[in-house]
Amino acid sequence: MPLVLDRVEKSFPGVRALKGASLVLAAGEIHALMGENGAGKSTIIKIITGVHKPDAGKVSLDGKEISLSSPRTAISLGISAVHQERNLIPRFSIAENILLETLPVHRGLIDFRRANIEARCHLQMVGLDIDPATEVRRLSVAQMQMVEIAKALSHDAKVLLLDEPTASITDAESEILFRLVRQLRDRGTAILFVSHKLEEVLSLCDRVTVLRDGETTLTSAPMKEMTRRTLIEAMIGRAERPTIPRASTPIKGPPKLEVRNVATKSGHQSISFSLRKGEILGLYGLVGAGRTELARALIGKERVTSGDILVDGKVARPRSVADAIQRLRMGYVSEDRKHEGVILAHPIRSNIAITIWSRIANRFGFLTEKLEREIAEPLSRQLDIRSPSLEQIVGALSGGNQQKVSLAKWLAADVDILIVDEPTVGIDIKAKAIFHELLNALADKGLAILLISSDMPEMIALADRILVMHNFRIIDDLVNDKRYDATSLAIMSAIHAVEQGSEDQRTTMS
Amino acid sequence: MNKMFEFAIRRQWSGILAVIIAGAVGLSIIAPAFLTSFNWFVMLRSVCVSILVAFSQMVMLGVGQMNLSVGALGGLVAIIVGGLMDAWGWPALPAIAVALMVGGLAGFINGWLTVRTGINGFIVTLATASAFAGINLGITKAVPFYNLPSNFLAFGNGKIGFFPILLVVPLIVTFALAVFFSRSVEGRYLLAVGGNSTSAELSGISVSRAIVISHIISGLLAAAAGVLAVAQLGSAQPTIGADWLVISFAAPIIGGASLSGGSISIVGTVIAVLLVGLIQNAMVLLAVDPYWVTFLLGALILVAVWINRYRAVHLDED
Amino acid sequence: MNDNFSRTPSRGIADLLIRGSGRFGLLFILLVLWIVFSSLSPGFLSRFNLGSMFRSVAVDVVVGFAQMVVLAIGGMNLSVGAIGVCAVMSAGYFLQVLNFPLPIAIVATLGVGGLLGWLNGVAIAKTGVNSFVVTLASASLFSGGMLILTKGVPLNALPPGLGSFGRMSFGPVPALALVTIAIGIVLHTVFFHTTLGRQILAAGANARAAEMSGIRVNRIVVVAHSLSGMLAAAAALMLTARLGAAMPSVAGDDWVLPSFLAPVIGGTALSGGEVSVVGAILGALLVATIRSGLLILQIGDFWLQLFLGVFLLAAIMFERYRATLMLRQQVRHL
Repeated sequence: MPLVLDRVEKSFPGVRALKGASLVLAAGEIHALMGENGAGKSTIIKIITGVHKPDAGKVSLDGKEISLSSPRTAISLGISAVHQERNLIPRFSIAENILLETLPVHRGLIDFRRANIEARCHLQMVGLDIDPATEVRRLSVAQMQMVEIAKALSHDAKVLLLDEPTASITDAESEILFRLVRQLRDRGTAILFVSHKLEEVLSLCDRVTVLRDGETTLTSAPMKEMTRRTLIEAMIGRAERPTIPRASTPIKGPPKLEVRNVATKSGHQSISFSLRKGEILGLYGLVGAGRTELARALIGKERVTSGDILVDGKVARPRSVADAIQRLRMGYVSEDRKHEGVILAHPIRSNIAITIWSRIANRFGFLTEKLEREIAEPLSRQLDIRSPSLEQIVGALSGGNQQKVSLAKWLAADVDILIVDEPTVGIDIKAKAIFHELLNALADKGLAILLISSDMPEMIALADRILVMHNFRIIDDLVNDKRYDATSLAIMSAIHAVEQGSEDQRTTMS
Repeated sequence: MNKMFEFAIRRQWSGILAVIIAGAVGLSIIAPAFLTSFNWFVMLRSVCVSILVAFSQMVMLGVGQMNLSVGALGGLVAIIVGGLMDAWGWPALPAIAVALMVGGLAGFINGWLTVRTGINGFIVTLATASAFAGINLGITKAVPFYNLPSNFLAFGNGKIGFFPILLVVPLIVTFALAVFFSRSVEGRYLLAVGGNSTSAELSGISVSRAIVISHIISGLLAAAAGVLAVAQLGSAQPTIGADWLVISFAAPIIGGASLSGGSISIVGTVIAVLLVGLIQNAMVLLAVDPYWVTFLLGALILVAVWINRYRAVHLDED
Repeated sequence: MNDNFSRTPSRGIADLLIRGSGRFGLLFILLVLWIVFSSLSPGFLSRFNLGSMFRSVAVDVVVGFAQMVVLAIGGMNLSVGAIGVCAVMSAGYFLQVLNFPLPIAIVATLGVGGLLGWLNGVAIAKTGVNSFVVTLASASLFSGGMLILTKGVPLNALPPGLGSFGRMSFGPVPALALVTIAIGIVLHTVFFHTTLGRQILAAGANARAAEMSGIRVNRIVVVAHSLSGMLAAAAALMLTARLGAAMPSVAGDDWVLPSFLAPVIGGTALSGGEVSVVGAILGALLVATIRSGLLILQIGDFWLQLFLGVFLLAAIMFERYRATLMLRQQVRHL
């Protein structure tokens, strides 16, 4: 048996990440590791790759107990990984990155010629046809991901760990990856496949282990016996509670926000849509479609190069984020919660009041903590933010509560237009449902909401209308009749049609 | 014209080289004394120490750290080598050997402290700079060492035509560093850590080891600079190293190093030092206030970083 | 389990103790040192020694403040010394050569400091370049420029007003110390009770989040650096008052290390987003106490420099330990 984790425990200051997790990873199998964010998946990955050492429990490889004290040890034992975040050295060439641990040396110096040749082989395996001497920082995100996969594969490892490997690559590239993974499995490699994409896992993997709250609820269950429902139950402890879909009343009235033929510096072209008060307008698209960039252009962070943006019928191009917030009364709940949504080191009360400091201060600019608390307390109650005190620093809260703080500050600012970007990523199911109810309630009260999400069920449950975005353009605009299958099919077909169209164009041109 | 401008900026040091050539030409017209053998000897000798000082910091920038004790360390080593030869009568070679070892040891202390305590290298080296300066004062009580062996002094003063013997050291070091950073595994690992320490760590490279090694190299280079400074001056002054900090950062930065780490230019650093040397020489020949050099140095740094940003933003280079 | 907020008042005191424990710790060490030094040498507590110590601490603290406001925003100002020298010489020039009345000269000098700081801030905000590099460069620029203009000649014939203020005391407390305390009170108020202060700390803790929440970070950077320049100029004025003359050899590089020491020992985060005015004062007092004590005990400069270096490291290690403990405490209460 290659890799066994036996009742492993790991704690960090104040957090018990793993309370007794077990994993049995056999040779020649593709083993899925699933769980909600915060369940402990990344801690397990860090233990297997030697970044952390467990506080209790055993890790054994091939029957012998091992101590993975550093990434170097893990690599030397034949454990290779493709992590969630990119782990390449930007200014080094592809070849150097792939062969970093095993650079060919000739008479004491690196033999770059041989390195390039070797690298080319590995690149061919993943179907990447690029000069190995290219600096990695010049590659696209998808290309970098494939380079990392090539790198992991080049180690001829006994254990291969893939953490959300298909997050930034296209379907075609995913197919290549799956084919390679199956080949490796057939050759006897033990593969641990971490993913939250249920369909992917159900079709690719042989067995599954599920983590919940630091413990394993399913160990090495054969995938053949699992369904979407059983997997979700294992992850959250009960069946998925579907969000009650928003009542389908047509929204009338003049548009609150109108976007006409807008092009941006990031590459958007001919973006047009309108958003009414009380409406939830969905913006659906795959990774790389350009949704967040559009949101950032609307909120004044990226530059709009042509076209008009109208608020309440008046032309109103935001000059800066501060301008968008104060003059146009817009808000943006960022998809990057930790780096943009909240200030982790500061307390809840100042994180909530941050958008209105200048408003609550007196004539001389003075304001007190008491004033902040007066604003923060009712909002904290309304959003059910779990914390013993408003002085608690946000970094110590759970992901769901952090996201609530991130939303609360826009409620404090009493915005009219709210752009919400992937609001429930990395949040447990219960908090997700609460968030959905919140967004519904806010729309009912008259807020105009632009909802960006790649979570189809979420989109269909909440949105009144759905814009489909692909490659920085809007390719479809549909009314959501809340019928899941029909609507989701319509959306995916629209995207496939466009992709097929450009694919055809490429073939005819070559 | 635009194409030329773009090309010059693309290779940062080529632009500086152009400025140097233009400046040299202009200077030789205005001040004919510039072209004398003696003047070239003096100018080339003055850059010897600066090149090593710049390299000392450049290595740290390569690994994504900084060493604020470059001057204090170099000054301490200068005193030690001078003291060994003057007060204890040691011959030159053993004294130099010990001095370099002290430099390496001091560098090791810097690296070890940074890695073990987890404290920002900025603070650690700020603190050790103070400590080294203190030890310097304690040993010398501000009195220089004068009695140096004649072969050592000859090394400092010797020349072939206008070529100072002293220059051999920076030349060898330049070559060694170039090979180290472009072709040796250890050197590439240093740059990997500077480029992205998390990625490097996950690929099995030891970040702590890289930091300690770079500090040791930095210390050795600062020590070498200190020894050369004594040779150049002919005496071990306790003030050696006092003004090294600015040039130690200025040259690599002007030469195109990235402050975030992982990207340095050996050629660029040397050329930047040559530029500063040329400016200093010009100040002397034209009898201009020496304070202008300080002023221009600041201006040069700003221009260099601005150009760097321009390249990064507009030309997609960096 | 939402019965939380009723516990806020008592949480407030516990909070204060945890947050303030760093400061109490410093105070404790300070008192211990005073007791030790005065028992080893009674001259330590003499009016003369205390007076001279407080006079120089007064300046050191304000220098520390100048660095603190920039640390708050997550940057650093390596040109505090250079701005200080420029301010010293400007003050001398205004008073001796242009014969400005004292109040006008003071305002003008502060203006010079503010202007130089403003230049730093604008360069940093407009070019996006790291404050380390910009202020390293501007330090050269400013001091070089100043030396070119003054040729390094000190101005010794200042009108008496400033000098006599420098020598004044109210009992054991020098007038200069009162100025420092006043500045400290103003800074504390700004950081903890005004919009500007909140915005500086937010931008320092997380500039991206601050910007996406509507704070004009670039403007804040410029303000922080201008303020830093003004504080450096204030310190320069106090120094000139103490010395009775304007000399370009003071301030300069001497100020850089102490400008970091005081705030950092006192709990101001190097990475930004957290400051402590009281801490900076205690930190400077601690350094001055050690210096004065060692001087009185006739231990030379050698030990002082060495000791300061070691002490800085120890202080930071302690501070990090305390911060981890604090986080652990906070999370445990969840």
